[in-house]
Amino acid sequence: MANTKEYIRNRADSNIGKIVIDRDLCIGAASCIAVSGVTYELDGENKAVVTGADAVDDATLQMSAESCPTKAVLLFDKAGKQVFPK
Amino acid sequence: MPNFKYLIIGGGVAGVTAAETIRMNDATGTIAIVSDEPYLLYSRVMLSKPYFFLGKVPFDQVWLKGEQWYKDKNITFLGGKTASGFDAEAKKLKLNDGSEISYEKLLIATGTSTRKAKVPGADKKGVHYLRSLEDGKGIMEDIKGAKNAVTVGGGFIGFEMADLMQLAGLKTTVVLREPYFWDPILDEASGSILENAMKKAGVEILHNNEIVEITGDDHVDGVVLKNGTKLPCEVVIYGIGTVSQLDWVKSSGVMVNRGIVANEFMETSAKDVWTAGDITEYKDLLLEENVQMGNWVSAHEQGRIAGLGMIGKREAFKFVSFYTTQGFGVTIAFVGDASPCPDRTIISRGSAESGSLGRILIAHDEIEGATLINRTQEMGTISKLIEKNMKVADKMKELGDENFDLKKLLV
Repeated sequence: MANTKEYIRNRADSNIGKIVIDRDLCIGAASCIAVSGVTYELDGENKAVVTGADAVDDATLQMSAESCPTKAVLLFDKAGKQVFPK
Repeated sequence: MPNFKYLIIGGGVAGVTAAETIRMNDATGTIAIVSDEPYLLYSRVMLSKPYFFLGKVPFDQVWLKGEQWYKDKNITFLGGKTASGFDAEAKKLKLNDGSEISYEKLLIATGTSTRKAKVPGADKKGVHYLRSLEDGKGIMEDIKGAKNAVTVGGGFIGFEMADLMQLAGLKTTVVLREPYFWDPILDEASGSILENAMKKAGVEILHNNEIVEITGDDHVDGVVLKNGTKLPCEVVIYGIGTVSQLDWVKSSGVMVNRGIVANEFMETSAKDVWTAGDITEYKDLLLEENVQMGNWVSAHEQGRIAGLGMIGKREAFKFVSFYTTQGFGVTIAFVGDASPCPDRTIISRGSAESGSLGRILIAHDEIEGATLINRTQEMGTISKLIEKNMKVADKMKELGDENFDLKKLLV
């Protein structure tokens, strides 16, 4: 498995159960932070980390993942199936 | 004549994000994207990143949207076509193949082009610029079997390409006009952190110098510098800035300056014509000045704002821009407007000796921008402080204390 970090999402109104950051792919472009600064931060290695997994709705979370120029943000539904990137 | 309700010129992240935003709000209005490149949306950012460039991830990772996405969203992609002008009254776009497309709402998101070198020999094979996927492929192909590379320019492209060249095993020399890397956006102390890391990796840096001639028959075999030095090399990569192609926009009656002039809604001076991305010179509400920002995150957000405007949900662009990069084990982040204007006070956090140095730029008692070397973890907090227009006259001590957690200022 690649160098990934998983963050569990526990929002009742959400279909997404888990956010995964692929730290090998992440280049710290911070587009995810631009879309949702309450969900992500950069750490000292210039990699995105999730600090607010439940902070935003699914549409915003989806857009934050889609904005990533390296597809380093992966989203999984509550059954564990990857929903982004498809 | 083909007709689209929403016509977008430019297939990069600004144009595609606008199209996506429009489709989220208008399920049936026709949308077309005209692009001078033949490719669907790809990651321009990835082109200069080591794991991609050196083949550590599959090439296909570069594609951000596939054919199916455009089909699912019912977005027509017209690749390999260049816009040559438009009639804002008649609402017709002209293409350089002589054809025309009519529209109701137009977005110009064509980006910028690389500034080209004007020295003898600059047209030889082996001389490169990096902007498009085609450019990236050309460099990747050309470094096979090459032993020496020269990169020109002390900005992002120069830095990232020097990193890639030395990682690819080439003896790398950097030629800078300036006295140190990233002058004048960085101060000399910050620049020295980068340069020390580059030198440690074996890169040679030549300051206050420039290429006056590129030698070789068909293919480059060396360069001659201003001071007469000759460097043998098989690859030359220029990263000397960008230019906005504005003539066709200006002749169509839209106001231009350094870029296409827009208000905070990404609206141009012409009715029903928007602009977004690198080519846009917009009114920045947070910095209270007109700026042009060339980076992925700004282009993405401007595309969204333009898309909202085009479907009638006018929203102002109020966004703290930032850009980060890394190489030679050093991380670099620029936040907001980091240019060192004379009226700005600069507070330093850390030092070159400790290898971690932040600079916070203050004007009119507010933070305008920052440069962060090996302190990217502070980027998010500083952008929030800029966004809040926080008054910092009584916070100078905290800002200058490298061990003070800036997050405490947000509470």
